Amino acid sequence: MSGGPLIVQSDKTLLLEIDHPDAQACRMAIAPFAELERSPEHVHTYRLTPLGLWNARAAGHDAEGVVDSLIKYSRYPVPHALLVDVAETMDRYGRLQLANDPAHGLVLRALDRVVLVEVAKSKKLAGMLGNRIDDDTIAVHPSERGRLKQALLKLGWPAEDLAGYVDGEAHPIDLAEAGKDGRKPWTLRSYQREAVEAFWAGGSGVVVLPCGAGKTLVGAAAMAEAKATTLILVTNTVAGRQWKRELVARTSLTEDEIGEYSGERKEIRPVTIATYQVLTSRRGGAFTHLDLFNARDWGLVIYDEVHLLPAPIFRFTADLQARRRLGLTATLVREDGREGDVFSLIGPKRYDAPWKDIESQGWIAPAECVEVRVTLTDAERLAYATAEAEERYRMASTARTKLPVVRALVERHRDDQVLVIGGYIDQLHQLGEYLDAPIVQGSTTNKERERLFDEFRSGSLRTLVISKVGNFSIDLPEAAVAIQVSGTFGSRQEEAQRLGRVLRPKADGRQAHFYTVVSRDTIDTEYAAHRQRFLAEQGYAYTIVDADDVLGPKLPTVD
Amino acid sequence: MTTSLADHLRSLPDESLAALLQLRPDLVVPVPSDISALATRAQSRVSVARALDGLDQFTLQILDAARLTRDPADGTTSTDAVLALATAGPRPPAPTSVRGAVNRLRALFLLYGPEGALTVVASVDEVSPYPAGLGRPAAELDPRTAALCADPAKLRRTLLAAPPSARAILDRLAAGPPVGSVPPGALQAPAVGAEDTLPPDPVNGGAPTGSPVRWLVEHRLLVPVSGGKSGSTGTVELPREIGLLLRRDSGPLGPLRTSPPEVAATPREAKAVDSAGAGQTMEVVRHTEALLEQLAADPAPVLRSGGVGVRDLRRLARTGGLDEPTTALLIEVAYAAGLLGELELPGVTTTRYGADQQVLPSAGYEVWRAASLAQRWEQLARAWLTMTRQVGLVGQRDDRDRPITVLSAEAERAGAPGARRAVLGVLADLEPATAPTPDEVLELLDWRAPRRSRGREAAHREVLAEAAQLGVTGLGALTSYGRLLLADVTDGDARADDPLGLHAEADSEEPSTAVRALDALLPAPVDHFLVQADLTVVVPGPPDPTLAAELDAVAEPESAGGASVYRVTTASVRRALDAGYTADDLHALFRRRSRTPVPQGLTYVIDDVARKHGGLRAGSAGAYLRSDDEALLAEVFADRRLESLALRRLAPTVLATPYQVGRLLGALRDAGYAPVPEDASGAAVLSRPKARRAPARVSVATRTLDPLAAPRVPMPRLLGVVEQIRRGDAAARAARRAPAAVRGGPRSATGPTPVQGHSDALAVLQQAVRDRALVWVGYVDAHGATASRLVKPVSIGAGYLRAEDERTEMLHTFALHRITAAVLAD
Repeated sequence: MSGGPLIVQSDKTLLLEIDHPDAQACRMAIAPFAELERSPEHVHTYRLTPLGLWNARAAGHDAEGVVDSLIKYSRYPVPHALLVDVAETMDRYGRLQLANDPAHGLVLRALDRVVLVEVAKSKKLAGMLGNRIDDDTIAVHPSERGRLKQALLKLGWPAEDLAGYVDGEAHPIDLAEAGKDGRKPWTLRSYQREAVEAFWAGGSGVVVLPCGAGKTLVGAAAMAEAKATTLILVTNTVAGRQWKRELVARTSLTEDEIGEYSGERKEIRPVTIATYQVLTSRRGGAFTHLDLFNARDWGLVIYDEVHLLPAPIFRFTADLQARRRLGLTATLVREDGREGDVFSLIGPKRYDAPWKDIESQGWIAPAECVEVRVTLTDAERLAYATAEAEERYRMASTARTKLPVVRALVERHRDDQVLVIGGYIDQLHQLGEYLDAPIVQGSTTNKERERLFDEFRSGSLRTLVISKVGNFSIDLPEAAVAIQVSGTFGSRQEEAQRLGRVLRPKADGRQAHFYTVVSRDTIDTEYAAHRQRFLAEQGYAYTIVDADDVLGPKLPTVD
Repeated sequence: MTTSLADHLRSLPDESLAALLQLRPDLVVPVPSDISALATRAQSRVSVARALDGLDQFTLQILDAARLTRDPADGTTSTDAVLALATAGPRPPAPTSVRGAVNRLRALFLLYGPEGALTVVASVDEVSPYPAGLGRPAAELDPRTAALCADPAKLRRTLLAAPPSARAILDRLAAGPPVGSVPPGALQAPAVGAEDTLPPDPVNGGAPTGSPVRWLVEHRLLVPVSGGKSGSTGTVELPREIGLLLRRDSGPLGPLRTSPPEVAATPREAKAVDSAGAGQTMEVVRHTEALLEQLAADPAPVLRSGGVGVRDLRRLARTGGLDEPTTALLIEVAYAAGLLGELELPGVTTTRYGADQQVLPSAGYEVWRAASLAQRWEQLARAWLTMTRQVGLVGQRDDRDRPITVLSAEAERAGAPGARRAVLGVLADLEPATAPTPDEVLELLDWRAPRRSRGREAAHREVLAEAAQLGVTGLGALTSYGRLLLADVTDGDARADDPLGLHAEADSEEPSTAVRALDALLPAPVDHFLVQADLTVVVPGPPDPTLAAELDAVAEPESAGGASVYRVTTASVRRALDAGYTADDLHALFRRRSRTPVPQGLTYVIDDVARKHGGLRAGSAGAYLRSDDEALLAEVFADRRLESLALRRLAPTVLATPYQVGRLLGALRDAGYAPVPEDASGAAVLSRPKARRAPARVSVATRTLDPLAAPRVPMPRLLGVVEQIRRGDAAARAARRAPAAVRGGPRSATGPTPVQGHSDALAVLQQAVRDRALVWVGYVDAHGATASRLVKPVSIGAGYLRAEDERTEMLHTFALHRITAAVLAD
């Protein structure tokens, strides 16, 4: 027994006790091959997955090293069977290689002939492989590179991709760290630097950083590293304009070099920002804007909010395997369970930082999460009890009883910028009237949105009611309080993104507040518990209070 | 020859005879009546086969040498002849090792007689028909082949002319065994017209001969021994002379290896081996417990044909997160350890499979569960070592192509414990922490006891895999505690030396050395946990039993292994409340056990669930008082003398007090009331259903003897046996010498008439009583058979003769009217 900080579980999770003196060293040792799954306050959970082990192999770690660090840091004896399994899994990587053959182009080469024979027979690879060149080599259609890699991964024989990346059309891009147009000088934060380095070393992949931690800058730094034309895919037009603003401010790029490719404008420039929406719009059943991918010889493709990547984009991405791809997200939790596809098509997770770590470094605002439980009136309870199953969540989450509670909360944070976020338009209108605040919703024009957001940023508008459109990619740095009244059922990433709206560090280092108002004893509570799971696993401790405490004279002040 | 072995044995001193019995203990089960019987048994096929089974490869080869060097005339050989043959090869073994092997064989009496005239025990030839893998001499097989062998030059020429395919066959047969089967029709001449398609054969004058075997037979290098002519599969044999010729390179006995093959084992760090093994033991115990719990919740029906069905196994494997072979192994081991048993279904005649028995944890499971981790593992590992089950057969198909199921009779193999001990013995004999490959282990086993290990390679590989799975080995090497356990189990057999059971007593009280060694490797139980904001509870180590029970009640298990992770959910809190916990209990539990501050969310969840729980107000009361007479209760409630009871009126007819019922009763009686205590059946009792258990079963580990292993008999007993045999021998020989007069059977014409005989006999006996002389007594026993016995008469009276049998030292009583004759012994 070494008394180490790590406990290896038989379901291949690793528990890291972070109060242990060796915890930091252990984390460095296991991070390359284990996925960080949960990071609550005392014990972090990592998981050994085949994918993670293969990524470690790809990054040059061998099974011996993995086994050594498991044994070295493990507090208890590690089961023999698990060690054997790790070694065997890692041994499967790289038996097949994707390589560029001078004569035949892209080929699949086997270091183990039996494996090649096995996979060549598989029906899943039908049509992806070309002619057999010799016993150990099979030609591959270049367009199938991504799909082939994905299929091989599913067969359990991941290929080592040695075919490299195209450089793309060169374009000078530099970070303007010295300050540009009279702005203050700035530097890339340490974790941003690490993220870019990890991404660049790996070639392609996903960087996971908390909301407000400056993912845009990671993208900008990656562009500065690539120094090539770049295609940036974002969720909506507003987010695209924020990217543009940020890039102009932080890099050597000028307005003219950055194009917007959206429903409104169709500009193709050395750096082009396109929305998922326009790319996936169809006319007559055909995707009409796919040419964008081939419009230039892109050297880098950046996927913002990769957890929202629509299914058609997955398919296009499979064709882009020769280009460097960078995925950015705060919450790689997809309610559709397609995290695996993100990893195999865009690339493995290259960097991940626990939210609380970034918070402790002061790069995101500390936040207090409070769940306020509202007791429904008897009439509401009766209506809820007799409602149809599919109506129940709506009934519970839009209960009128929530309105006074929301107002009490807004009152309490009179001096702060408050966002009220909801999922049901009717409820938002009620709230708008009740609180006398403007509403931003799907039908609000981009111009109107920009105006309201600007007012909010400047502080002339204190309270703003927003619908789901505000879930992502709106940069409202001074928002310090978010009140969530309803959402998309039990969506974990929505919860995290909404918290993200208030996490930008405040000028005066104030604490952020995140309230979620739920109806007691209804399905609303259950969904809330599920929604909070991601953040709870990131170490955000929810405090639960009763609505009476909010409404009543006694205030449950924590600070 | 039988007589000669018997005579030989008879002439031995007692110690030598006892030594033989010690080497071949099967000879004394049951104790032979005399030396002739012993000799017959020592030459029986079964006993000889058993003796050969225990011999290593080299000794067997030397025995083969002795057989090959037998003088055709009198069937004897000599040490020198054996030595000459054994050292005839290109790499001769040291003469001392040859002599050593010969001595071993002589000690076993597989060879006997003086060095110059050794005789091989007859049934050796029956047990292994081809000495050294060589065929019979050509002269015994076929005169034409004999003629070929008599002409060395021609033989050599023919051999050299053999086509490569034929030569390959020859080499294979020369390596032994010397017989091979040929497909039907292979020896027939090719069909007319088909000859052109066959390759030309220069030896045959250019004409093709067809199959290589046919070529060899045609050229008299092989002799067909049976069949092969038409439709049936035939057999061919390679004559001894040709075999010897082909073995020029390796020597007449084939390659000789005097010492076991070297193991180029990878040395491991002893600590790493123990650690990996210990990790595995934790897994095994945990998985076994999970499996048994699963069987307790949902017992598996026993199939009509015995065993547990494939579908149930699959279900258990899936829910347990294991693969099927591992699940099968753990179930078999748990059953062998007495943790599982069958239970008749109460009053049910048909179930899913028409079975009326179920497999579920037995009463012994409760005891096992309460033991420490190391003890639990030891109980499993011991059962595994001794169980006569070959689990690897599960999932395969039997002779009738039906799948072999877990716990079914088809997987029963009496040889399994022996195989385990042989394989682990190999590992135990190596340096600690050396990890040989399975192939090396098999090779070593093959050398040590070729007759025993041949054809059981698969079983031996299984043993290695199972040992790794159970944590007996780690990283391929035997763990320190595994070594201790193995030694302990092997010593268990030696307990026969301890007839009074002095040491066995001590063993059962204290944990064995293996348990102590393993205990030191395993983490100590933990009695606290860490609670986190996401409502997970982490026990950073194996929980002690009370903690585990508490957590099982209040949280859902999420992940297990070195530590356990639980999650508190509203459902689990509700379950805890249902099981009788109150919100305060839960708060107290978390405060007491948690090393970290209890998150507010958890506190809130507990309170929130408790608030809703059944819509009831929960409180605690020590006792209640009820009466249908409301006025009486009102009186009690108002009684000042009872103020100290702090009675509370719950309903007009019920009062409650926080104090225990005894105090309530006492106080009421003191105040002049007449309360009657109520038993618990009147009150709602929160309890969980009593777990059903099959009757207790005994672990096979308590059987100390491997059914196949040789029983070990201590020396004093052996000497006793020898004495008994000798006495029997003397009696038998004496019986042959009993005078005709008392022998019964058809009477000779000259013999005395029965009446005369009887009166003469009385006179002789009376004389003998006076002289205390030995007398042969002939008598008719209760079944009317005549028998004779050599006795020393003690007294005559009341119609009975009392006499002592010298051989058995027993006093016999003969009815005088049954005595037919009596003759003084010489």
